[in-house]
Amino acid sequence: MSTQDAALDLAEAAPVRWRRYGVLIGRVLLIALLLVLWKVGADIAGPLYAADPIKVFQRTVADVQSGTLLRHIYVTLRLSLIGFALACVAGVVLPFVLRRMPRLTAAVEPYIMASVGIPKYALIPLFILYFGIDDAPKLWLIGLLVFYPIFIAVFAGIRNVDRRLINMARVVGAGEFVIAREVIWNSLLPFFFAALKIALPRAISAAIIGEFLVGNEGLGFLIENSRQNFDTVGVFEGIAVATALVLVINALLVALDRRVNAWRPVERHMQL
Amino acid sequence: MSALGDTREAGGWAAGRAVAWLRARGDQIIVLVVLIAIWQVLSMMLGVYWVSSPWGVLQRFVTGIAGGDLLVQASYTFTEAIIGFLIGAIPAALLPFLLRRWPMAVAILDPVMVGGYGAPKLALAPLFILWFGIGIESKVALVAITVFFIVYFSALAGVRALDHKLVQMAQVLGANEHHVARHIVFPGAVPYIFTGLRIAMPYSIGGAVIAELISANRGLGYLVQLGAMNFDTTGIFTALAMTTCIVFIGNWSVDALERRLLRWRPVSDQKLQAEA
Amino acid sequence: MNAPLLEVRDLAKRFVGRAGRDQPLWVIKDLTFSVADGEFLTIIGPSGAGKTTLLNMIAQIDVANGGEVIFQSQPAPISDPKALDPGLHCRIGYVTQEDNLLPWRTTLQNVLFPLEVQGRLNDETRKHADMLIRAVGLAGFENHYPHELSGGMRKRASLIRTLVYDPPVILMDEPFGALDAQTRTQLQEDLLRLWNLGRKTIVFVTHDIAEAIALGDRTLVLSRAPAKIAGEHVITIPRPRDIRGIMMHPDFAELYQRIRAQVQ
Repeated sequence: MSTQDAALDLAEAAPVRWRRYGVLIGRVLLIALLLVLWKVGADIAGPLYAADPIKVFQRTVADVQSGTLLRHIYVTLRLSLIGFALACVAGVVLPFVLRRMPRLTAAVEPYIMASVGIPKYALIPLFILYFGIDDAPKLWLIGLLVFYPIFIAVFAGIRNVDRRLINMARVVGAGEFVIAREVIWNSLLPFFFAALKIALPRAISAAIIGEFLVGNEGLGFLIENSRQNFDTVGVFEGIAVATALVLVINALLVALDRRVNAWRPVERHMQL
Repeated sequence: MSALGDTREAGGWAAGRAVAWLRARGDQIIVLVVLIAIWQVLSMMLGVYWVSSPWGVLQRFVTGIAGGDLLVQASYTFTEAIIGFLIGAIPAALLPFLLRRWPMAVAILDPVMVGGYGAPKLALAPLFILWFGIGIESKVALVAITVFFIVYFSALAGVRALDHKLVQMAQVLGANEHHVARHIVFPGAVPYIFTGLRIAMPYSIGGAVIAELISANRGLGYLVQLGAMNFDTTGIFTALAMTTCIVFIGNWSVDALERRLLRWRPVSDQKLQAEA
Repeated sequence: MNAPLLEVRDLAKRFVGRAGRDQPLWVIKDLTFSVADGEFLTIIGPSGAGKTTLLNMIAQIDVANGGEVIFQSQPAPISDPKALDPGLHCRIGYVTQEDNLLPWRTTLQNVLFPLEVQGRLNDETRKHADMLIRAVGLAGFENHYPHELSGGMRKRASLIRTLVYDPPVILMDEPFGALDAQTRTQLQEDLLRLWNLGRKTIVFVTHDIAEAIALGDRTLVLSRAPAKIAGEHVITIPRPRDIRGIMMHPDFAELYQRIRAQVQ
């Protein structure tokens, strides 16, 4: 190419590279700035209201070494995953069952949609009353919070399946079960994953909040118990670890989504 | 086919649809009756102590409204939700506009925003109670921070969805940056902002209630806790019913506002938005 | 003879290949023509010949990679992306291919938009807008939103939106291309009628040879990429033109053949 062309090319490419480095540096600086502000804020506000980040870090390390933090994380995760799994199964199976009963579905649908409006967290005291003060009320809470997005997504996904694919499968002799497995399930996988990305972080949130009110272990317990003991360092530690946990899980889900649904663009941001 | 035959066929088709609609409504009413019947039976089987009867709840609900106490508590929760909603939503909607000309700033901010969006904000409830006490401020703070991140990303999507052709057109007509921001960027982003508002609304009421559950002496969440402590399931159900009501009112308000402001949207877009 | 209102000299534009893999493509090179005051100039070119790019550069929406654009004897800063002045201070109007109406404004609000933005909204200009709305048959639709209008109506609204503020030069990019034949003929007649009232300078780009002959005083033919002027034809058919019967005019057939040969 001519020198004029080469010069034009260079002129057009340079700003892009510059910008990328700038963004990276900017991000690092921003995080550093936030940490500094945290430290300054903690110094100003005093140990009662704000925990010194260094102390939070030290406490986290100490708790990891003693095993207590890992125990809390394990308890919360275990609870979340059990509740998540149960609700997931219900949320996936129910739409498939309803699919074969359109009249029932039409009759029940408005009530299901209306029940979305009930704030599930408000049910915790009721669950505690009914199911005691162990894991059960928390599992019900997690279950409900996971059930709805999964159910709605799978339900909508099934509705949106291309009828022509189903007809084609019938023509070549596939039975109902095979159709469900091959055509419908694959068509709704992207919807399902979108709902997963909503539901799994929600499950962890729900476990934590359940632990605010009930129980003596878990990240939620750590946070709330620390607050009641005016142990601000503990509060910050719990919040930081909980946040990190959710962010890690979301990153894993995004990666999984990318592998499974390779043919679709992945929504990077978490959805509620 | 004769003209008479045509109209009869068309009439038959329309009548068929009407029958189907009626049938669906009938089914739904049957389901409602069945649900209430099951509720009543459970109440009788397990005793009012465990499951209050539908009639009992209705009575308590009506007297609560008539006497005013239920409404007062509801108003506390609603107020916390609204104030928090506004404090969170307004800066969140404005920020993408202000940063519109500096995409680098938006990119630098992105990890913090994504982190904030993903972090469990409700886990901050105890912290806010520590800072602001058990009064209205802690609830408002929780709602505000929850709403902020939701609306930020919706507004950002709205600003990003800018149709550059429209901007160029306006520039040819003589518009300056201010005109473009006000007449092109902002109206184009409003539908997206409303999606965010619609999503955030139930979260705002939910957030207020959760904070009240943990620690409060007013509001519907407090009523629920009170009912639980006194083994008063009727009280719990009544408070829950009221909470659901204000969620509906909140959703309806956002929808009504949206319909008013977005009359210009093509109908298919409106329908899609409603289903989103 | 006065100096031409608009002059384009050796205009050039290239598109960069993706990630340096493809060779850069010169879309327009050594493009030179001029437009006199009050002239209706039509430009024909096959699709993809860079017609829109050419108008974008004149209107200063796109940057040029060479050459000059001289408007009212003053060169315009077309090579520097930062110095671009879209519309050259509202002296160059541009009717684009898509109507680009603001969806959240009614017809009337859309037509008044340039006046609002230029600070020229007053009783007189409002009356002018009303007149234009009636002239193109949109009376009664002032309070409709764009999604409630048909394609032809939106085109008309987009057209009078540019006419309402009276720029000395108006660029038009295949404005009637997406419409059905009836609507197109109607709009061509409306356009000529409105043009007659003010005798503005118009540069009208199209791929339809018949349209170019029917509307223009002079027609330029664009070659394929890298596009330059392949030929110039003076349209000898006198005005006022009868659009519906234009094909019957004795000069039409010969003009059509000559132009068509060049377009190949």
